[in-house]
Amino acid sequence: MDLINRYAHEVGQYLPHRMRADVEAELRSLLTDSVEERARAEGVPAGDELAAKVLREFGTPKDVAARYAPEPQYLIGPRLYPAYRTAVRIMLPVLAAVVLVLVVVGQFRHPGEPPSVVPFIRATGSFLWSALVNLGIMTLVFALVERSMRRSEANGKAWDPSSLPQVDDPDRISYFGRIFSLYIIAALALLFNFFPDWVAVYVFRNSDGNVYPLLTPAFSRYLPLINTWWLLAFVLNLAVLRQGRWTRPTRWADFGLEVGWASILLLIVLGPPVFRYDDLTKVIAQWFLIFSAINACVLLYRLLRRRPAEPWARA
Amino acid sequence: MVMGETQQTPRDSLSLELRRGALVLAVLVELRHEEYGYSLKKLLSDKGLEIDEGTLYPLLRRLESQGLLKSAWRVEDGRPRRYYQASVQGEKLAKELAAEWRALAAVIGKLVG
Repeated sequence: MDLINRYAHEVGQYLPHRMRADVEAELRSLLTDSVEERARAEGVPAGDELAAKVLREFGTPKDVAARYAPEPQYLIGPRLYPAYRTAVRIMLPVLAAVVLVLVVVGQFRHPGEPPSVVPFIRATGSFLWSALVNLGIMTLVFALVERSMRRSEANGKAWDPSSLPQVDDPDRISYFGRIFSLYIIAALALLFNFFPDWVAVYVFRNSDGNVYPLLTPAFSRYLPLINTWWLLAFVLNLAVLRQGRWTRPTRWADFGLEVGWASILLLIVLGPPVFRYDDLTKVIAQWFLIFSAINACVLLYRLLRRRPAEPWARA
Repeated sequence: MVMGETQQTPRDSLSLELRRGALVLAVLVELRHEEYGYSLKKLLSDKGLEIDEGTLYPLLRRLESQGLLKSAWRVEDGRPRRYYQASVQGEKLAKELAAEWRALAAVIGKLVG
């Protein structure tokens, strides 16, 4: 029966590859039995008309597949979707603002030329391209977190009420902040490893645009070190998300990473220029270094400080 | 009594919820002997328990993935069929669920009078 074959195949399209052939074969067998039995009972031919009736009762292929599916078939579930939507709502205007600033700067660099729409058309193209790339990275990061959290829950122990966070809990994590960090790490790693030429100053003019790459060849010396740092930071963020809160080991790891980042910045400040416009970038790197050192101190303080006693204990 | 059909009204959905747990017990008990999907549906139907096929067949796969059923493909009259039977673990669970069912039925029976 052609209709049953088509139906079973369609159900299979919504299922994971590993179970597809098996479920399709079983459905074909079951539905054929069902149609033949119904034909005998009703005294009508077991044709496509009767098959259509049986299939209508059986349900739409999508519904049937959902009942067979071993786990939820979505990339980003209801728990993370609000954070994903917020992240996209932040990312798109920020990108648009960056592109707009670049266009305006480009116009100011060539004040003699008459105003033109060409830079804005180019800027719109840049914005759309960047938006698509960033949306892809962000979706991948959220999907990875969703999968990781689902697995962690599947393997987890029974829920323990004593694991509930305190009302003012310093170890509580911000899911949005952690996931946003993952996105930033993934985006930077992709940019600096595969598209280093995009790290540039773009100057749009009437008929064409000029691109001035910012990175010098010396940057590649630091890239393995920075990649290692990114990888460790990615793993740490994922581990913190899976645990759902900061623990002592993850806080120590965070402190270690901050010290590592400060050391990398120090190497960059002391070493050969990694960016063109060396004077300016070294000043910026120094500021980053100072910020990183302060952050490391804050993390160490949080690790070592004693929690204030509860009111009844003080009394 | 049809189990597993898409229900619309609150009364129907509550009724479906009430009977959903019993479906697992019914399947495990009937699969003490080997059956394939359609023959199991017929067997339950003959005993007065109508089950929507779109609910029963995915349930068989789920119980199998939980180790409560075992299955094997067999070709009969030129048609391949998948036969299911309760595993040792499934039979043990069926006994436990049956005991719970009897106890619950007794309590609810007293409550509803």
